[in-house]
Amino acid sequence: MDLLEYQAKELFREMGIPVLPSQRIDHPKDLKGLKIPYPVVLKSQVRAGGRGRAGGIKFVANTIDAVAAAQNIFHLPINTEYPEVLLAEAKYDTDREFYLAVVLDRAARRPLLLGSRQGGTSTELAMEQMQQVVVDEGFSPFYARRLTLKMGCTGPLIEAVSDIVEKMYLLFVEKDLDLVEINPLGISPVGEVMALDGKVTVNDEALGRHPSLLQLLPKTQPDEGLLAGSGSEVMAVPSELNFVELDGNIGLLCNGAGLTMATLDLVYAAGGKPANFVNIGGECRWDLTPELLCDRIKLGLALVSQKKNVKVVLVNLLGGLCSCTQAVKAIADYQKQSQRETATGNPQTQVKVIVRLYGSEIDQAREILQAVEVTVVENLDEAIALSVSLATNG
Amino acid sequence: MNFTPDTKVLIQGITDVIGSTHAALMKAYGTNVVAGISPGCGGQTVQEIPVFDMVEQALRQVGPVDVTVIFVKPYAVLDAALEAIAAGIRQIIIITEGMPPLDMVKLVRKAEATDTLVLGPNTPGIIVPGKVLLGIHKSDFYTPGSVGLISRSGTLTYEIALQLTQAKLGQSIAIGIGSDAILGSSFAQWLQILDEDDHTEAIVLVGEIGGSSEEEAAHYIAAAIDKPVVAYVAGHHAPKGKRLGHAGDIMAARLSTGKTFNIVGADPDTAQSKIQAFKAAKIPVASSPAEIPNLVKKVLKQKKK
Repeated sequence: MDLLEYQAKELFREMGIPVLPSQRIDHPKDLKGLKIPYPVVLKSQVRAGGRGRAGGIKFVANTIDAVAAAQNIFHLPINTEYPEVLLAEAKYDTDREFYLAVVLDRAARRPLLLGSRQGGTSTELAMEQMQQVVVDEGFSPFYARRLTLKMGCTGPLIEAVSDIVEKMYLLFVEKDLDLVEINPLGISPVGEVMALDGKVTVNDEALGRHPSLLQLLPKTQPDEGLLAGSGSEVMAVPSELNFVELDGNIGLLCNGAGLTMATLDLVYAAGGKPANFVNIGGECRWDLTPELLCDRIKLGLALVSQKKNVKVVLVNLLGGLCSCTQAVKAIADYQKQSQRETATGNPQTQVKVIVRLYGSEIDQAREILQAVEVTVVENLDEAIALSVSLATNG
Repeated sequence: MNFTPDTKVLIQGITDVIGSTHAALMKAYGTNVVAGISPGCGGQTVQEIPVFDMVEQALRQVGPVDVTVIFVKPYAVLDAALEAIAAGIRQIIIITEGMPPLDMVKLVRKAEATDTLVLGPNTPGIIVPGKVLLGIHKSDFYTPGSVGLISRSGTLTYEIALQLTQAKLGQSIAIGIGSDAILGSSFAQWLQILDEDDHTEAIVLVGEIGGSSEEEAAHYIAAAIDKPVVAYVAGHHAPKGKRLGHAGDIMAARLSTGKTFNIVGADPDTAQSKIQAFKAAKIPVASSPAEIPNLVKKVLKQKKK
């Protein structure tokens, strides 16, 4: 999850990376109490890129211009995102603009320092001239100097830029970040350096041990949040469930990302169109219990079958944590409840549920599920074929 | 690497939720679990396995162990693994999902310096069918035989093991390398191990979208692996950019230049790139799990000629 520029700069300031005097603007009238001398730059605080080109960054010379520009920016969506706050910042006279970043290199399994002498908005040039240094062992400032030399820095600029890189690295490690980026790093005519724009991406898995970062994030993440139910009720989707809406008529429920992907591929290959899918999660979560897994099966079934165009739900669950019988009972419970609800409405809308199961308890499972009109199929390809044909031919 | 019923196994996090469940399943499969670790629970037993507060205490009691299987909560994994290394254990399997990537970077550095083999995190572990279970594989889908299985997935691996078993193709070993973003060991390392394993005649490699480990594996197979390999890649129709559940299939840091550096998002196009890499290395690619057994039979027949 990306932080906003002003939040990233707050972290920079704490770390001793030079940033310009700035002020957070929650409302255009805040500009009347501006403590930074004009001219200032007003910047839309959104997570989307390309703010400058979209008109989200404006230079202003006095309060009247500033209020007008702020009203304008607050009402300007950037890639559909409206800013909640603006950043008013002092203007800086740059001679050159560099690019700097710290990321994780998955293949090397090490942090990677990136730097280019072509920063700013000339992103293609920046990439062409991008230099890399892998931080192979524990960090020492020479890694940063190695980067600045590769970038072609000479004289006092070597120490000035590598000092910034070192502080970026320390921030990266201290806060468990996925990315620390400064673009551009302004270089003044006298060789002073200044972080003019910054991006920080936090690591979702490490957030639990950084409450100060957690506070900075919006309460609901864009991909999750609330989902409208079939009626007027609203269903909350926990973040552990990977639920994705598509536009076909077959709902899929699987456990594990790989199995979900493979099942999705097979449905498409058989000529079917998934309406959505939910991955109720793999089995490696340390706090996963059979009861939790069964709850997720029920919630997952509710999620995938709620849309009107869903005709068939295919359940493909494999694993050792909860027994076949436990999983089957969860499915039967859900089915009984949904049959009761349908009985009061239109019975024609009942979604057909196909369960792909395999194991020693299959006969017992079949019996339990037959009673609630759920079909059990042992072979995966047969389960897919049956689901696709039921969805196509009714 | 030679895992047998005699292999002495430690379980770290044996009183944690999935640790205790799977300790029982591992023991029932015949795995020689000699001790469990759970700070504060020393002196107890779980499934007749003695529990200790620290690894070094356990080893004083039961002697050196060959491998430790870690089930502790994500933020405690690095410490548990470092404790195992400090006690002299050189094979570590991390089942836990969601370990912070920078913790894994630290562990990888330590593992390289001490010549420790780390599997995972977020892995079902290893199963040598009929002999030993080191992790959480759904063991009744497996049967002893000569096909080595290496995968990035958990439950999808069980699916493929089942299809092999039903086609009368038993497995010599199955390894999940893990599904998190930063892994302790690569496809290449395990391909090398299986290439040297006397019980393995053919290898099935199960990949998925995201990252570039399949491409690296394809190059490595072409350069260094003598045994026949069959590949399968899941995720052709995964919706672009959506999180599917593996930290490895989606990552993460998008630079302001518009690039993701050495990091590919949940991008179905990567399935095609991976398949092309396998084809360029003359490795047959199955289009579905059901096709894998046929391709394995074919490569085994060619090998005998």
